[in-house]
Amino acid sequence: MPSTFAVDLEKMSRTANTGLVLLLAVFGAAGYLVSFYFHFVTVALFLLVLLNLYWRYGQTSHTLLANFGFLAQTRYIVESVGPEFRQYLFASDTEERPFTRVDRAEVYRKAKGIDSSEAFGSLLDFDRDEIKLRHSFYPVDKKDLEPFDVAVGASRGLDTTFHIRRPMMISAMSYGALGQNAVRALARGAKLAGTVMNTGEGGHPKYHLMEGCDLIFQMGTAKFGVRTEDGLLDEDKLSALATLDQVKMIEIKLSQGAKPGKGGLLPKEKVTAEIAELRGVPLGHDVISPAHHIECKCPASTAQFISRVQHVSGLPTGIKFCLGRPDEFRTLVQEMKRQDTLPDFITVDGGEGGTGAAPKSFMDHLGLPLFEALPIVHRILEDEGVRDRLVMFASGKLISPGRQLEALSLGADVAYSARGFLLALGCIQALQCNRNTCPVGITTHQPHLQRGLDIADKARRVANYVGALHHDHVELLAAMGKSSSRLLTQENVYLPTGGPVSPASQELS
Amino acid sequence: MTHPMLTRAAQGIAAVLLLMAAAMKFMGDPGSIEIFARLGMDPAGRYLIAVVEMTAAMLLLSPFAALGSVIATAVMCGAIIAHVTELGLVVNNDSGRLIGMLVVVLVCVAYVLVSRRKEIPFVGETL
Ligand SMILES: Cc1cc2nc3c(=O)[nH]c(=O)nc-3n(C[C@H](O)[C@H](O)[C@H](O)COP(=O)(O)O)c2cc1C
Repeated sequence: MPSTFAVDLEKMSRTANTGLVLLLAVFGAAGYLVSFYFHFVTVALFLLVLLNLYWRYGQTSHTLLANFGFLAQTRYIVESVGPEFRQYLFASDTEERPFTRVDRAEVYRKAKGIDSSEAFGSLLDFDRDEIKLRHSFYPVDKKDLEPFDVAVGASRGLDTTFHIRRPMMISAMSYGALGQNAVRALARGAKLAGTVMNTGEGGHPKYHLMEGCDLIFQMGTAKFGVRTEDGLLDEDKLSALATLDQVKMIEIKLSQGAKPGKGGLLPKEKVTAEIAELRGVPLGHDVISPAHHIECKCPASTAQFISRVQHVSGLPTGIKFCLGRPDEFRTLVQEMKRQDTLPDFITVDGGEGGTGAAPKSFMDHLGLPLFEALPIVHRILEDEGVRDRLVMFASGKLISPGRQLEALSLGADVAYSARGFLLALGCIQALQCNRNTCPVGITTHQPHLQRGLDIADKARRVANYVGALHHDHVELLAAMGKSSSRLLTQENVYLPTGGPVSPASQELS
Repeated sequence: MTHPMLTRAAQGIAAVLLLMAAAMKFMGDPGSIEIFARLGMDPAGRYLIAVVEMTAAMLLLSPFAALGSVIATAVMCGAIIAHVTELGLVVNNDSGRLIGMLVVVLVCVAYVLVSRRKEIPFVGETL
């Protein structure tokens, strides 16, 4: 069948290229004969013709431009503005990634303190495989709910046992990935909301400390802030840091969901004097984070290292990882049991986790998703009989109360989020965290971009967000007939795959 | 091929000359009035061109110098058309002073245009 409607691109562009020259002649003549004003167009066309000649005959790196001339450039232009166009004009409310507009709108509304009730019906696709919470015939009265309280370090009987009283904490984001205004707004918001903030692996938490909130100090694989020159643990620095009143817990990062098994590199251009000082690294060199802690080479040395940090710091100490192989995790737990040393908490980060910067293949293909990993970790801990000796945090797109309760049902005790809080700070998902050009001043150090991020105003939003999440947490729990999130089990979620977890991941462990 | 210092110098020279030219047009210099009258564009066209020249000069001094050089080149092309088609090379017995200025500006902005071609919005990546 002849395709009568097909556009003959080649013919069209030939016409366009000739037309451009003719048009130039016409306007030139009009400028000469009628009014000199026509020459405004003449010069524009003249420059365009020159450019077009260069595209067609003067360059070899763009085939389309060489073959078709300026018409092809419209394609480059459309392509370059495509993402924005699609976001504003064409993307449907449930289409964008990583967070759909529906997801984001809920956070924005909670942060601004606007009523988030909806009318007529859910915008989600109910015929798809979606995880749902199960409610009960017999809801409990909200008055009868126990206040949220998770004690970290209690099983070791620590004086420094810390009570978490909000179901949602701020997950690790370093000063470095975030600018100082963003860090301070989050810290002030955490203080207002009474929740805990993780410092991320950026070293000494100078800006976090300014606002007086409770902190989990994160020790990354490079141990910024508590390292010796060769990247080993500097015990004096750690114990000094642990005496700070605001530092309540230590999190040893083994890996993170966005780039498990990978360290990082901060190019020397970005290493300012301040960053060098906070991280405890020399100026004028690239700053390299190794893929793992030098001390942790095998299950035995890893367990030893955790126990060493526990003793040096005297604080509840946990580990953060993204699950890869369940058998490895089981071996680690068995080794810990043998040495009778368990972390006080475990943070399970889902493979869908975010980051300031990571290679695409790592983000897309490495690490188990949170809802796969959680039940596995939970079950291994139960099998080994140590589940009640530690607390489990979970992160991985837990930005809405529904997903948070799903995570709590699958084994977690407290939800953690990074990007949920970025959204609360006004993140528009421009996906530029790695370029220092964040348009809303969050992941940038440029003063003119940070100017618009008002610390007091955004801190209020962070606090509103935590408050609204806690409110919904209570409402959902009551509807599910539970007086405490501790009573949630896998029975409380409906998993469309049928089993408690999908069969594929069960086999592995 | 191009040197950043030279590019900056060219931006500066072109911006100063353009600002001077714009100022003369704004202040109603008799020579400018006569020229634009002969083109049938006085006073609207005179002010319009002055505004464009000023914009270009300011852009040339800003981080958007590439865009400024495109605009300035266009204005200079227009001026050349004017001289070739209507005014002649020697205007008001200035023994070609005006044309001389024009060539200086054109050379400067062309230099900026070439050395900053990568920064031109929308098309820079292909150049
Ligand atoms: C900008 C940014 C910076 C981050 N920096 C760190 C970090 O320093 N250390 C870490 O363990 N995780 C870091 N993460 C990962 C988060 O802590 C979290 O594990 C992950 O984003 C999953 O949570 P989410 O889906 O709620 O964002 C970062 C994430 C983002 C978005």
